[in-house]
Amino acid sequence: MIKSYKLRRGLANTFIYILLAVLGIIWVAPLAYLVIQSFSADPGAVPQTLLPETYGFDNYVKLLTETESLNFPRWYLNTFVIACFSCVISTISVLMVSYAFSRLRFKSRKKFINIGMILGMFPGFMTMIAIYYLLKAMQILDLKSIFGIPTFDGPILALIICYSSGAGLGFQISKGFFDTIPRALDEAATIDGATRNQIFWKIILPMSKPIVVYTVLTAFIGPWTDFILAKIIAGDKVDNYTVAIGLQKMLDNDHLNKWFKRFLSGSVLVAVPVTILFLKMQSYYVEGVTAGGVKG
Amino acid sequence: MKKIVAIVLAAMMLVAAFASCGGSGDSGSKAAQGGDSNSTVSTDTSKTGFDNVVADSDFGDEKAAKLKVWGPDNYTKLLKKQCEDFKKKYPDRVSKIDVVVQTEAEAGTQMLSDAEAGADVFGFANDQLNNLVNAGVIAQIAPKYAADVKATFLSNAVDACTMQNPKTKKDTLYAIPETGNGYFLVYDKSVVSDKDAATFEGILAACKKAGKQFIMDAGNGYYSCMFLFTGGLRLEGLEEDQVTQKFNKYDKKAVVASMKAFSTLMHKYTGTFKSLAVANIPSGFTSTSSRKSTCGAGIDGNWDTASIKQALGKNFGAAKLPTINIGGKDQQIYSMYGYKSLAVNGASKFPRTAQVLAYYLASEKCQNERCTELGWSPTLEASINTDAVKNDVAISALLEQSKYSVAQVNIGKIWDPFGNLGNKLCADNTNPETYNFTELLDKTIENVLDQ
Repeated sequence: MIKSYKLRRGLANTFIYILLAVLGIIWVAPLAYLVIQSFSADPGAVPQTLLPETYGFDNYVKLLTETESLNFPRWYLNTFVIACFSCVISTISVLMVSYAFSRLRFKSRKKFINIGMILGMFPGFMTMIAIYYLLKAMQILDLKSIFGIPTFDGPILALIICYSSGAGLGFQISKGFFDTIPRALDEAATIDGATRNQIFWKIILPMSKPIVVYTVLTAFIGPWTDFILAKIIAGDKVDNYTVAIGLQKMLDNDHLNKWFKRFLSGSVLVAVPVTILFLKMQSYYVEGVTAGGVKG
Repeated sequence: MKKIVAIVLAAMMLVAAFASCGGSGDSGSKAAQGGDSNSTVSTDTSKTGFDNVVADSDFGDEKAAKLKVWGPDNYTKLLKKQCEDFKKKYPDRVSKIDVVVQTEAEAGTQMLSDAEAGADVFGFANDQLNNLVNAGVIAQIAPKYAADVKATFLSNAVDACTMQNPKTKKDTLYAIPETGNGYFLVYDKSVVSDKDAATFEGILAACKKAGKQFIMDAGNGYYSCMFLFTGGLRLEGLEEDQVTQKFNKYDKKAVVASMKAFSTLMHKYTGTFKSLAVANIPSGFTSTSSRKSTCGAGIDGNWDTASIKQALGKNFGAAKLPTINIGGKDQQIYSMYGYKSLAVNGASKFPRTAQVLAYYLASEKCQNERCTELGWSPTLEASINTDAVKNDVAISALLEQSKYSVAQVNIGKIWDPFGNLGNKLCADNTNPETYNFTELLDKTIENVLDQ
């Protein structure tokens, strides 16, 4: 038995740090590999060595300029447009639904919450085929240049509709957050003459920054990572693909040999807007949690 | 609470039912129409070839047709040109042809999910044929053209496009073969000599001597089926249910002997024989100023030929699969061999024009263009003996291998069980001297039939 407390603590810490370091390396290694290999300038599709022998921006340049067969910049733009629209729409709808369920008391409120819960339990892709045929019947899929915007075609609108229309069902987490904000604040505002709408925008929302950030992030990331719905809806309309389908295309038999390294650089580029958004909004997380509402 | 669940479920089922009915029923009926309207065309087989067979009356009353065609990425440029040629040939009949990129591997899935939004004429891989026919989404080839195809195309290519009509139970031609699709031996001539390339033992010995790898994807059913086919096992289409695989009456001892022979060689040349995805083959052949190539030979398909040629340059070698010594006798390795074919959408709004276009794209002129520009093997008897084919070692190897192959058509769920079998044969802990290959074969067959 080691008697010295210092030595014991030192040993325990060493062990813990080694363990954490190993776990950290395991977790970071694939990401690091992806980023490093995306800058590789070696010939051949599949990396033959752990670290590239020569480095360069070749893969990125080719990915963004050789757009004849696989038009990655166009798909990137598509996904960005879809993500921005559905991010705004779903954030607003999620927060409004949560506010209504949290603060208002109306007939069959409990029932609506339950229906929402049950519908949320079914996986989204279960209704995929039905959604496709409904969109087709409404003739949304064949639209061209909606509002006169050249790249804004039917499937993109369809995807925005799909991602944002069901979003309100994901109200549980933000409702839980709103429930923790004291009702005394609402009451105080009501006495001062605020309407329900004003309370939502001026009292509740400024105090709920963490949950707003969370909602914005999840709503924005959704379209970047969704594959299965986008695939069904885009069909053979190559110009309306999103990055997820595009990246998968790069790995099929016809493209793999030429496109594997560009696939790696594409994956890095996909992470960029999500990372920027997260870094920009990160500070609000802390600020929101620590800012108190009711004083003394 | 229960009520709500019931209502929600019922509503969902209703939506799903309507959606699926509307889709498949509609396209099915249109497919039937397409077939019927074409069966009235008279059949005259005295002359062959596109220009002799097609008459202006074949178009019926279709004018200014707008068509959509699916083709793979690398073919798009040439396909656009060929479609323009077709448009110039029939300016009154065709007003617009859209060429859309779609790989043959995915064409079938896309057609099955929504045939109406699909292309009028599309290339697809033949193993999807039975699904497409059973779903009724493709039209049969007009009898007039079918007769010409049967007379002038390679017979096993025609067989791969022929299926029993689910309604009339007659053998019907549903697609026109476009090109062969299979794998063969590729090697670095500076490592493996042409003589070594004739036997599996020779190739492995040459690779080992040079310190290079031999790469094939033994864990993939598409390639690992060769371990069984070489021993005499064959696929014979599907049972009545269109799902269960049928096998021939194979000699179990011979199949087991073949498995053992492969496994023994794999273990004798541990370190040389590598089971890796085929994408590693072109990369393995690539050498840089600072690093030598790692691969000496491999089994790869025609889709990688361009990359391998680029990597090896004048050292590029290709041949049919080698022989393997089983019980003292050299036996030819058998492979899976498929076709890419052109089919006509049963829901096409211009079924007759689509038929003519499909037939045009399979004609001798288009086949020769694909052969010289893309290195696609032809499927016409007449195109086989041209200089373009004879001078191309890869196409020659592919065509040679097609003689020792099992057709990739009407295939059940063999891929995973066969892949597992391949993995077992080359696994490090498999000792080929003591391993019970008979049990492995029985289990594999059982798994194929069970699924």
